[in-house]
Amino acid sequence: MDLELLIAFGAATVRVATPLALAALGEAISERGGVLNLGIEGSMLAGALGAAIGAIAGGPWAGVALGMAAGMSAAMVLALAAVVGRADQIISGTAVTLGAIGLTGMIAQQAFGTAGAGLAVPTLAPVGVPLLEQVPVLGPIVFRQSPLTYLTVALVPVVAWLLFRTRFGLELRAAGEAPLGAAAAGVRVRMVRSLGVLAGGALAGIGGASLVLAQVGTFTERMTAGRGFIAIAIVVLGRWHPVGALLAALLFGAATALQFLFQASGITVVPYQVLLALPYLLALAVLATAVGRARAPAALARNE
Amino acid sequence: MRRALPFLFLFLAVACGADDAEPDVVRVALVTPGSVTDAAWNAGAYAGLQQLRDSLFVEISHVEARTPAEQEEALRSYASQGYALVFGHGFEFQLPAERVAAEFPGTVFAITSGQRVQGKVVPLVFRIHEATYLLGMLAGGLTESDRIGFIGGMELPPIVLGYNGWLAGARAVNPGVDSRITWLNSFDDAAAGKEAALAMIRLGVDQLHHNADAAALGAFSAVRETPGVHIYGANADQSALAPEQTVASAVIDLARAMMLVTREVMGGEFEPRLESFGLASGVIRLTMNPAFTGTIPADLRDRVRAGEDSIIAGTLIVSGEEGS
Repeated sequence: MDLELLIAFGAATVRVATPLALAALGEAISERGGVLNLGIEGSMLAGALGAAIGAIAGGPWAGVALGMAAGMSAAMVLALAAVVGRADQIISGTAVTLGAIGLTGMIAQQAFGTAGAGLAVPTLAPVGVPLLEQVPVLGPIVFRQSPLTYLTVALVPVVAWLLFRTRFGLELRAAGEAPLGAAAAGVRVRMVRSLGVLAGGALAGIGGASLVLAQVGTFTERMTAGRGFIAIAIVVLGRWHPVGALLAALLFGAATALQFLFQASGITVVPYQVLLALPYLLALAVLATAVGRARAPAALARNE
Repeated sequence: MRRALPFLFLFLAVACGADDAEPDVVRVALVTPGSVTDAAWNAGAYAGLQQLRDSLFVEISHVEARTPAEQEEALRSYASQGYALVFGHGFEFQLPAERVAAEFPGTVFAITSGQRVQGKVVPLVFRIHEATYLLGMLAGGLTESDRIGFIGGMELPPIVLGYNGWLAGARAVNPGVDSRITWLNSFDDAAAGKEAALAMIRLGVDQLHHNADAAALGAFSAVRETPGVHIYGANADQSALAPEQTVASAVIDLARAMMLVTREVMGGEFEPRLESFGLASGVIRLTMNPAFTGTIPADLRDRVRAGEDSIIAGTLIVSGEEGS
């Protein structure tokens, strides 16, 4: 593999990983509070549509803001149903995702007509970081990316700090491990869980926005194509830790970038179906062979 | 509930559309396997349906149904309401339509890219490979790297036909041309379409064709970022998606084909038969991007024109089979 190709592979890895990492960071916050948010796919999709509408109306950063708000709105439905209303988390999460698929399609057709959004959405093009982008190999891979990628990397320590160094983080984790005990100790369990779900929806919304604003520059129906569900797997792979989520997202990104390069290189020894399954096979392999402690929050997917 | 939800919406959508129907108005329905905002396969059929309404004054209805179960249910729902004609948009509707047609003899089912006539289920076969052959000729002549690429949504028979035509055309003018193909396993994932295109371009592909509906919007986005790469549209005139880099498109004039069947059904003279449309019918067309007409070398243009004439005259048969 020559250097040019290595750089192309690395840059593609980071591009593919960005929306996954954002959604996984959001899902990690939600799950630390004990809420398994299957609506994350819906939050991403809502974020993608919000980003397209916002960017057309007020430029790319308005797109990020509206995408985040749209992701939070989808999460709000889940918080109301599953946390406040104590409905089953799996069923409410699935309903949020299905509802988002239908609603985003309908709104998109109202907003853009049946001709679709074309490729007319203003985007956040890659920006080079001065000096750092000159570093051989690593420079063009990591430091010539969309601003949303830099935001993602910056969010990792922020989320870690939030979860492990703040009172809110402590209460959230208590609500995810032992909600009854936490409630007895004075934690307002439903409140902190709801906040966790909303924060997760906001990040997933930015993740969906990054698909539109940092990648294709248009909205297509169902364009998230299951990335929210992959983010849920990434959270498990990353052991519910922000740094782990980032690394696991990069692993998925690398496998995806690799399979596109494999297919495009005309290698016919391996059937393309195997190549398409590569990211998932790799995730399974890592999960099966990972050593050490990896335990879900004790009260995950359970109400109180 | 989870499984019932789509059906509920489907039922509501269909029920709302039918409420105020006059019994003597001909009603025509369309079921698409994907979103009609894809600027390609599904958008063309939806535009065709609207033309039926505007020029033949039929009452129209449309639903999107993605899974085999939903598709059969959508067809059945329309048939049970007495729709005269239901278009199932894609070869995957053939078997569901045959099952439903057995229960509702009053409805004609026209299946685009269908396989066979069965009662009142009639296939509309599009020989898209006749047009992609011409695209391939252009690509084979214009490539500087001698490497062309194709991005497919899924490995479905009509898409493979289009790819084979593209490759055969390219080889006709450039026997040594190297062809690459990537399957996305999605018609919606535009970001995947973009990464697939970028990977191909990075590996030296400079002429790109696709059949991936909305996911291909990502490929157009990738091409717009890499000057010098040409892209060729599928199913509709897609020049506007990359005005300076889209050379031509293989177009299916779905409206024309739908109009033909609808007229016959309205007039009561409909005879079940396999209707096959190629370049000669005008339903399948090569549409050049006007921006390119002056830049294509004259000898290549003449060869493509000669190829088109031979296909129309029947002296050149594009089989769409592998290696032909």
